Amino acid sequence: MLGVLEQQDVLVRMHAELQRALKKKPEERRWVMVIDLRKCVGCHACTIACVAENKLPPGVVYRPVLDEEFGSYPNVTRRFIPRPCMQCDEPPCVPVCPVNATYKNNEGVTVVDYDQCIGCRYCVTACPYGARTFDFGLTYTDNTPDNFPFLFGQANADDYERHANYEYGENRQREGEKSPIGNVRKCHFCLHRLAEGMLPACTTTCIGRATLFGDANDPDSLVAEMIASPNVMRLKEELGTEPRVYYLV
Amino acid sequence: MAKQQPQNSDQIAERPTVSRRDFIRLSAVTGGALALLGNIPQARQAIQKVMAAGEGGFFESKPENQIYTVCLQCNTGCAIKVKLLDGLAAKIDGNPYSPWTLWPHPAYDTPVKDMATMEGGICPKGQAGLQSAYDPYRITSVLKRKPGTKRGEGQWVSIPFDQAIDEIVNGGDLFGEGPVEGLKSIRALTDTEVAAEMAAEIKAIWDENDADKKKALVEEFKAKHADHLEALIDPEHPDLGPKNNQLMFVWGRMKGGREDVVHRFFQEAYGTVNMNGHTTVCQGSLYFTGKAMSAKWNAAKSSWDSGDKFYWQGDTGNSEFVIYVGANLFEANYGPPQRTPKATEGLINGKKFAVIDPRLSKVAAKAWKWVPIKPGTDAAFALGMIRWMLENERYNAAYLAIANQAAATAAGEPNYTNAAWLVKIKDGQPGKHLRASELGLLTPQTVQKDGKDVTVYVDAAGVQYPGDTPVALVGGAPTPIDVLDPEAAPVVGDLLVNQTVGEFEVKSGLQILLESAQQHTIAEWAEIAGVKERDILELAAEFTSHGRKAVADIHRGPSQHTNGFYNNNAWYVVNLLIGNFDYAGGTIKASTYDRKGSKKGQPFPVTTMFGEHHFTSFGVDMLRTRVAYEKSTLFDGTYPTRRPWFPIATDVYQEDIPSIGDAYPYPIKVLMTYMNGSVYSLPAGHTAIEILADTKKVPLHIASDILVGETSSYADYIFPDLSFLERWEFHGSHPSVPWKVENVRQPAISLPGWPTVKVYGEEIPMSFEALLMAIAEKLELPGFGPNGFGEGIPFTRPEHFYLKQVADIAFGDKEDGSDNVPEADDEEMRIFLEARRHLPKSVFDAEVWKAAVGGDESLWRKTVFVLNRGGRYQDFAKGYKGDLVANKYGRLINLYQEKTYTSINTMTGKPFTGYTTYVPAGLSSTGEEIEDEGYEFNLITFKMITMTKARTVTNYWLMAVQPEGYVMLNRADAERLGIQHGDRVRLSSASNPDGVWDVKGGRKVPMIGKAHIVEGLRPGVVAFPLGYGHWASGSHDITIDGMVVKGDPRRAAPLHGNAAMRVDPHLGNVTLSDLAGGSAVFYDSKVKVEKV
Amino acid sequence: MNFKRAIYTISALALLFGLWGVFVRLTTGHREAAYGSYVVWGLWVAMYLFFAGTAAGAFMISTLDLLFHIKIFKGTGRTALWVGLVSLAAALLSIWLDLGHMERIWKVYLQGDLGSVMAQMVWGYTLFGLLMLASLYLSIRNPQSSLLRTLMIVGLPLSLFVSGAVGALLGVEASRLFWHVGLLPVQFPVFSLASGAAAMLVVIGLFGQKESPNRSEQLWVLSVLTVALAVVKLYFLWADFSQSMYGNVPQNVEAVRAVLYGPYWWAFWILQILIGTLVPIFVLVQPKLARHNGWAGWMGVLVLFGFAVARANIVFPALTVPEIQALTTAFSGPHLTFDYFPSLMEWAVTLGIVGMAVLAFLIGEDRLPLSSKEA
Ligand SMILES: Nc1nc2c(c(=O)[nH]1)N[C@H]1C(S)=C(S)[C@@H](COP(=O)(O)OP(=O)(O)OC[C@H]3O[C@@H](n4cnc5c(=O)[nH]c(N)nc54)[C@H](O)[C@@H]3O)O[C@H]1N2
Ligand SMILES: Nc1nc2c(c(=O)[nH]1)N[C@H]1C(S)=C(S)[C@@H](COP(=O)(O)OP(=O)(O)OC[C@H]3O[C@@H](n4cnc5c(=O)[nH]c(N)nc54)[C@H](O)[C@@H]3O)O[C@H]1N2
Ligand code: SF4
Ligand code: SF4
Ligand code: SF4
Ligand code: SF4
Ligand code: SF4
Ligand SMILES: [Mo]
Repeated sequence: MLGVLEQQDVLVRMHAELQRALKKKPEERRWVMVIDLRKCVGCHACTIACVAENKLPPGVVYRPVLDEEFGSYPNVTRRFIPRPCMQCDEPPCVPVCPVNATYKNNEGVTVVDYDQCIGCRYCVTACPYGARTFDFGLTYTDNTPDNFPFLFGQANADDYERHANYEYGENRQREGEKSPIGNVRKCHFCLHRLAEGMLPACTTTCIGRATLFGDANDPDSLVAEMIASPNVMRLKEELGTEPRVYYLV
Repeated sequence: MAKQQPQNSDQIAERPTVSRRDFIRLSAVTGGALALLGNIPQARQAIQKVMAAGEGGFFESKPENQIYTVCLQCNTGCAIKVKLLDGLAAKIDGNPYSPWTLWPHPAYDTPVKDMATMEGGICPKGQAGLQSAYDPYRITSVLKRKPGTKRGEGQWVSIPFDQAIDEIVNGGDLFGEGPVEGLKSIRALTDTEVAAEMAAEIKAIWDENDADKKKALVEEFKAKHADHLEALIDPEHPDLGPKNNQLMFVWGRMKGGREDVVHRFFQEAYGTVNMNGHTTVCQGSLYFTGKAMSAKWNAAKSSWDSGDKFYWQGDTGNSEFVIYVGANLFEANYGPPQRTPKATEGLINGKKFAVIDPRLSKVAAKAWKWVPIKPGTDAAFALGMIRWMLENERYNAAYLAIANQAAATAAGEPNYTNAAWLVKIKDGQPGKHLRASELGLLTPQTVQKDGKDVTVYVDAAGVQYPGDTPVALVGGAPTPIDVLDPEAAPVVGDLLVNQTVGEFEVKSGLQILLESAQQHTIAEWAEIAGVKERDILELAAEFTSHGRKAVADIHRGPSQHTNGFYNNNAWYVVNLLIGNFDYAGGTIKASTYDRKGSKKGQPFPVTTMFGEHHFTSFGVDMLRTRVAYEKSTLFDGTYPTRRPWFPIATDVYQEDIPSIGDAYPYPIKVLMTYMNGSVYSLPAGHTAIEILADTKKVPLHIASDILVGETSSYADYIFPDLSFLERWEFHGSHPSVPWKVENVRQPAISLPGWPTVKVYGEEIPMSFEALLMAIAEKLELPGFGPNGFGEGIPFTRPEHFYLKQVADIAFGDKEDGSDNVPEADDEEMRIFLEARRHLPKSVFDAEVWKAAVGGDESLWRKTVFVLNRGGRYQDFAKGYKGDLVANKYGRLINLYQEKTYTSINTMTGKPFTGYTTYVPAGLSSTGEEIEDEGYEFNLITFKMITMTKARTVTNYWLMAVQPEGYVMLNRADAERLGIQHGDRVRLSSASNPDGVWDVKGGRKVPMIGKAHIVEGLRPGVVAFPLGYGHWASGSHDITIDGMVVKGDPRRAAPLHGNAAMRVDPHLGNVTLSDLAGGSAVFYDSKVKVEKV
Repeated sequence: MNFKRAIYTISALALLFGLWGVFVRLTTGHREAAYGSYVVWGLWVAMYLFFAGTAAGAFMISTLDLLFHIKIFKGTGRTALWVGLVSLAAALLSIWLDLGHMERIWKVYLQGDLGSVMAQMVWGYTLFGLLMLASLYLSIRNPQSSLLRTLMIVGLPLSLFVSGAVGALLGVEASRLFWHVGLLPVQFPVFSLASGAAAMLVVIGLFGQKESPNRSEQLWVLSVLTVALAVVKLYFLWADFSQSMYGNVPQNVEAVRAVLYGPYWWAFWILQILIGTLVPIFVLVQPKLARHNGWAGWMGVLVLFGFAVARANIVFPALTVPEIQALTTAFSGPHLTFDYFPSLMEWAVTLGIVGMAVLAFLIGEDRLPLSSKEA
C-alpha cells in the first residue's frame, strides 16, 4: 500500500551516511552538496538556520536564497536558488589571499582561518558567487534599550549572539574587535557539525528536502546517486571553478 | 605558519575541551541571590556560573544540552529541540521524533541519546525562536497606565505584582479618573449552589418555545431567587446571567493546558461565560463548516446536536493529485515543515498538484497548474467541478448511497453521508429532512426500558427504532433510516430523487446539490470565478482520475470571506463526491492523546478534579453564540438585531470589542486580554482601538503580554508573561497529520533574572498562571489552592496542573494501560535531570514535579519519557490501516445540513441555506452589496514564511530576509497607474479614505509602503504580506517610570493594510463577517492604490 | 608666502578632520564605513590605487633627472622622489586602515603567500618605498654615486611592476569582467606616469622655485606629457567601454552603464571627464597657459583629481554589479547594498590623508634639501 512505509526520510539516510563517511580519512571523503531546485520552495529556512548555527551578525550571510519570477501573467512562475559557498575545487578566492588565510582543507572545504585573516577582502572580490561577506562587528540587538529595571534589555538579549559561535569547532566570544569581527566569513559546510556527526544546519532544516549533503566518494550515498543525474548543473560552470555544490533542475 | 584554528572536521572532533566562556570566570563573585533582585546583568552571570560546570566540546551534540519542546513562532507547533549552552538557548532545531519534522518519523522509543545528533526540519521562524524569547523589549515588571494619562499615550509606571493584583481585585480610584470596579465586586454571585440552580433554570427558560410560558418561567425564576437578583446583570432578563459575566476574557493564541486552566478559572471558578478565542480571525469558517457538516444526528430526539468544532485537511503525502485552494502551503498553513516534504517529494516522482489562488504563491510556483481565481468565488469554481462530476458520473455513487452506519459497516466504509436522505421542498426551497413518521412509516410507541417509559418508533413489521428517522428511497421505496446503530438494517438509498412521496415534494441531498450546481453552466461558473472553462474541466478530470487518492485541500483563501462558509462547504463536497474522507491520500482530521484525563483509566481527570464544588457559569455570552436569539428572553420577534447572533460559530474574535463598544447584549466592566493582537490582526482592527481607548466603554483592561504589544498598549495593566520557550502548553495537532499525537511545550529556559512571585506561599515565575492564581488566591476561588484538585491535592503551582496532563498523555487512551509509554530508564532519567540543571527551582524541582504526578515512580518515569521527547507520537505505521487512516473521523458527514437550515440569520431574519450554493462575496451584514465607487482593487493579504502576525517583527534574523512589507500589484495594473517597483504608494478604502491607522496618543500611522510589482498576481487584485507596520511592540518610543524607552525603527517598517479592510456599513465598528461561519473577512475589500 | 600658508592651514584642518575619522575608525572598527560586503572596496582602496600610482609615476619622473639626466629636468629628481615617498605613505596608510585586522599586517611579510598579487604588491611597494628612500638619501648625499644609478635602474622596472601589479590586482579577477580586461596591468603604468607628471605639474607649478630657469620649460614638457597620456587614457577608456558594450556581456555592460548613467554619472562625466580631463587638456595644449605656473599647477591638481575619480570609477562599478542578480534582494542588512557612496568617516580619513600628504610634502619642501642646493 503506502510505498512510503519502506521509505526513510532523506535526512535519516544522510545522517547514517555521514557516520559512515566520518570513519574514513579526511582526504578520502568528498563532501558535496546537491540542491534540488525542483524541490526548493524558497523558504529561507536554510538561510536562517545557517545564521543561527553560526551566529552570523547583521550583514553577514552564507546562504541567501534567490527568488526570481519568470514569464508574464498568467504564464508565470518563480524559481528559488539557495547559494551557499560552492566549495570550488578551483577556488578563485584562494590564490588571491595574501596570507593563506583562506584555503582548501584536506576535506576539500574552503575554509577561512579567522586568526590568520587580515581582513583585506580581496577574496570577496575574487569570488564569482558573492559567497563571502565581511564581519563589520555589528550585533542584531544593537541600539535596543538596556539598563531599565522593567525591561529584559539588550545586554541580556544579545548573549546568544555573542557567545554561541562554534565555527571550526572554536567557541569564539564576540566582543571588541576580536575575530571573526574584521574577518571575511563564508560557508564552511558546517565542519564543526560534521565533526560531531551532524549534518550541516542548512541541510538538516531544509523543509523541501531540497538540500542534500554527503560524501560523493561513497558510491552508495544519496549525493553520489544524485550527481549522476542527467539534470545536474553547476553555477557559472564556464568559469572553471569546479563547484562542489550541484544543482538539480 | 601559525594556524590556531582547527581546520577540518577530524581535528575539530579531536579537540580538547573548549574553555568556558571567559566572562563567567570574571563574575565568580556575584551571588545567586542577585537573581531575585531583578538586577539582570549580574543575575545572568550568576546563573551562568552555576551552569558552567563541566561544559565542553560542541554543546549542540550532547543530549544533556537539549530540551525538547514545541515551537510557537506560528501556530503549526512544530516539535523542536532547544540546544543549551551554559543555560542559554543557543540554537533550535527540529525534534526528530515528531511527524512535524521528519517524514516518516522514526520510532518513538528510540533512546534520546541516540537522537542527540539527529534533527528534523523546521522553518526559518522556528530557527529564529530565540529572538522571541530573548527580546530586549520584553517586560519584566507589571506595567500600569500612568494615572492622569490616557490609554494609547504610551505612558506607564512599573508597579509590584502584589500591588497590581490588589488594585485589579479591589478596584478604587486607580487612575485619578474616579472609581473603577475591581474583580471582587463584579463577582457578585459567589454561591456555587445557587449558580448551579440558576443555570439549570435558565436552560429551561431557553428551551421553552412558548412565549407566554417563557415569561412565566422568568417570573418564577425572579420570585425564587429574589435574594440574589441584585447579583444579576438584568433581573428582567435573568438569562443574561450574573454580573460575573461582566468580566470578559479574550485570548488570541492559546493552546491546551493554559486553555484548560483558563476554563477552570473563568468558567468554573470566577463564573463568567465570557471567555473567547480568536478562531474567526484565523480560519473560522473552516471550523464552523466542519462543525455544520459534522452535526450529529440525535436518534432519540430525531433532531440534530451540534457537530464538532474542527476541520479537515488532506493527507497529501499519500495523494496522487491535490488541489490546494487558498492554502499557502510553503509559506504558512499548518505548516511548512510538515506539509512541504509531502508536496516536494511528489514533484520529483511525477505527482501533480494544482493551486487555486489569486496570487502566485510559492506553492503555486511549483504547481502543474496555477489558477488565479477571482477572490471570493471559490464556490463557483467548485460548483463547476461538481456539476461536471455529477453530470459525467465521475463521483463515487456506491459510497454516497450509503445512508447509515450499518450500511457503512457492511460496505467497509469508514463513514457515510446523508446524500440519499430525503429533504422536503417548500416553495421550491429545500427545508427539513422528511421524517419517517410523516409518511406513516413509523409510529411512536411507549415502551418500558429499565423500568422507565420511553418513546420508540416502530415500523409496520414491528421493528423498533430509537426515534423518528430520516427517510431514503431504496429502489423507489421510502425506507426509514436507523442512522447510528451499526446493527440496524443497512440503508443504501437512491441517490438522485426528485418526486413527491406521499403528500411531500422531496429531493435527495444529492439532487439538491445537482440542481444547485446546475444553476449555471460550467462556462458561466468559470466566468463568475474569472477563470477559463478549461481550468474547471481539466481540474475536474484530473481530480476524478485517482480514485480516492485525490484531495482538495483548503485553507484561509476560500474561508475568510463573507461567503466563506459556503466556499468551504463546496470544496468539502467536491471531496465528498469521490468519497475520500478517512482515506489515505484523502480528507482527514486531527487526533490527539487525551490531555484532560477524560478516558477511562487515565490517572488524572484534571478537568473534573475540584476541591470544593465549582461554579456553573450561565447566561447569554457577549458574542451571542451559546443560545439562539429566538430562544433568549431578548427575542422580541424583530430583525435585524442590534448586532448579529451566531448560531453556528463561536469565538467570533471580531465581535468581542465592538460588542463591548455597543454594550450589546450588556456592558462589560473588566476586559482581560491574553496573547491578543486583535487590533493589529483583525480586518479593520482600527475600529477596535476607538473602543479600547474609551474608559467608559472598557472601564478596566488587564493584559497578559510579553512586551507592550499592539493590543496591550491600550491596557491599564500589563502583566509580563513567559515566552513559549519558558512555559507549558499542549500544542495538539492539525488536520493534515494522520497520526495520533500530542506535542508538549515545557520550560526549556528561564530568562536570567526573571522575576518570581509568591502565590499560595509558593514561589513561581511571573507569568500568566501567576496572574490567574494570584487572583484566585485573593478571591478564594474554588478549584485553586492547597485543595484545588480535591482534598489534599494542591493546585498551587502551574506544574501541578500540567504535569498531570503529561501523565495522562503518557498513560494513553486505553483503560488497561496497554497504551502506556515505556518508563524512562536510568540513563534517560539522568539526561532529563542534567538537561534541566540550568533551570531555577521556581521552574524545575524534580521532587515537586514528581509529587505533581502523585509521587508514583513508575508514572513519573513514564512522564519523563514523554517530556524527554517533547510529546507523544504514534508510530508511523500505525497511522494507517490498509487504505484508510487509522484515526478516523468515522461517522455521518452532512452533505445536506438541516441544522444549518434551522438556524436564523438574525440580521435578515431568514434561515441559513443548508446546501452547497454560491453566494456572492463581500456583502454587508444585512446582506446588501457594497458599492465602493472609485476603489478599483480587490485587496487580499497573505503570510510570508518569515513572518507571523504581530509577533515576529521582534525577530531580527527574519527581518533580514524581508525587512519591510509592501503593496503587491500586477505589472499591467501598475503600468496603467504609472507606478514603478519601489515607488511609495498609499492604500485606502471607502471606510478609511485617508488610509491611516489612528492609533491614539495623537499618532497616526499611514498605510504607505513600497509598490512591489509582479506578474504573478491576478490583475485587479492587490496583496500585502502580514507582519509589518507596527505602532507598538517596541517600534516606537514609550515612557516607563519617566524614562523613555526608545523604539527600534526596524520594527516600525511599513506597512500593515488591515485598516484598509472594509468596515461593515451597517454595524459601523467592525469588519465584514461571514455570519454563518463566523469568519472575519480579509479578502473582500475594495481599495485604492495611489502613488505618494 | 601667503598661498603656502593657506595650503598649510587647509591641510592642517584636513588632517584634523582626518584624525577624527581615524579615531572613529579605530574605536568602532569598520562599522561606520559605507563599503560593505558587496562593494567591499571603497574610497580608501581607490585612494590607495591613486596614491600608489602617483608614487610610481613620480618615481618614473624622477628618473628623468636622476637616471637620464635630462637637462631641463635637472633638479626636479629629488622633489619627485619626495612626492613619490609621500604618496606612497599616503597609499599605504589608506590601505592599512582599510584592513579588518590592521595589527596583522606583519603576516603579509612573515607569512605571506607570494602567489597572491596582493602579497606581491605589498612586498613590491615595500621594496619600492625603501628603494625610493635610499634613492632620495643618496641623491641628497651623493648624487653622483653609482649606487644611486643602480637603484634607479632597478627602480624603473620595479615601478612599472608595482603599478602594473595594482592593475593586476584587479585584472586577475576573471569573474569581474569590468576589471578582467587584458590590458589593465599595462594601463596602470601609463596611468601612473600620467599622475606622476600631473603631480610634478602641481609641484613645479604651484610650489616650484621662482628663480628656476627651467621652470616654464619643465611645465611645458610635463604638460605635453600629461596631455598625451590623458589622451591615451581616454583612448583606453573608450576602448574598454566600447568593447564592453559591443561584447554585450550583461555583467560588464551593467558596470559600464553604472559608470555612464548610474546614480553617480556626474562623477564620471563632470568630475572625471570634464573637469579632470577635458578642461586640463584644453588648457594645457595652449603653450602660453601650459607654461604659466598657476595655470599649469592648477591643471595638475585637476588632472590628479580626475585620476582619483577615475580610480574610484574602476573600483566601484565592478563591485556594484551583483555577481548574481537576485542577490540584491535575497538578504538584507547593513553593509549589504550594491549602492555605494562613501560615509563621512571615510571622507574624513581620506581628506586627512590628503592633508597629511600635502603637509608632509610641504614640510619636506621646506626642510629637506630637495631642489634648492643644486639648481
Ligand atoms: N509564516 C507563517 N505561517 C503560518 C502563520 C503565520 O502567521 N506565518 N500562521 C498560522 C496560522 S494561525 C494559520 S491560520 C495558517 C494559515 O495558512 P494559510 O491559510 O494557508 O495561509 P494564508 O497566507 O493566510 O493563506 C491565504 C492564501 O489564500 C490566498 N487567497 C486570498 N484570497 C483568496 C481567494 O479568494 N481564494 C483563494 N482560493 N485564495 C485566496 C492568498 O493569496 C494566500 O495565498 O498559517 C499558519 N502558518
Ligand atoms: N493582514 C493579515 N492579517 C491577519 C492574517 C493575515 O493573513 N493577513 N492572519 C490572521 C490569522 S490566521 C490569525 S491566527 C490572527 C492572529 O491574531 P492574534 O491571535 O490576535 O495574534 P497575534 O497577532 O499573534 O498577537 C499576539 C500578541 O500577543 C502578544 N504575545 C506574544 N507572545 C506572547 C506570549 O508568549 N504570551 C503572551 N501573554 N502574549 C504574547 C504580543 O503582543 C502579540 O502581538 O491574525 C490574523 N491577521
Ligand atoms: S564559491 Fe567563492 S568563496 Fe566559495 S570556494 Fe568558490 S570562490 Fe571561494
Ligand atoms: S580577507 Fe582574509 S581570507 Fe580574504 S583574502 Fe584577505 S586575508 Fe585572505
Ligand atoms: S553548510 Fe553550514 S555554513 Fe554552509 S550554508 Fe549550510 S549551514 Fe551555512
Ligand atoms: S531550506 Fe530547502 S527548501 Fe527552503 S529555501 Fe533552503 S533549500 Fe530551499
Ligand atoms: S512552522 Fe515554523 S514557526 Fe511554525 S511552529 Fe513550525 S517551526 Fe515554528
Ligand atoms: Mo490563524
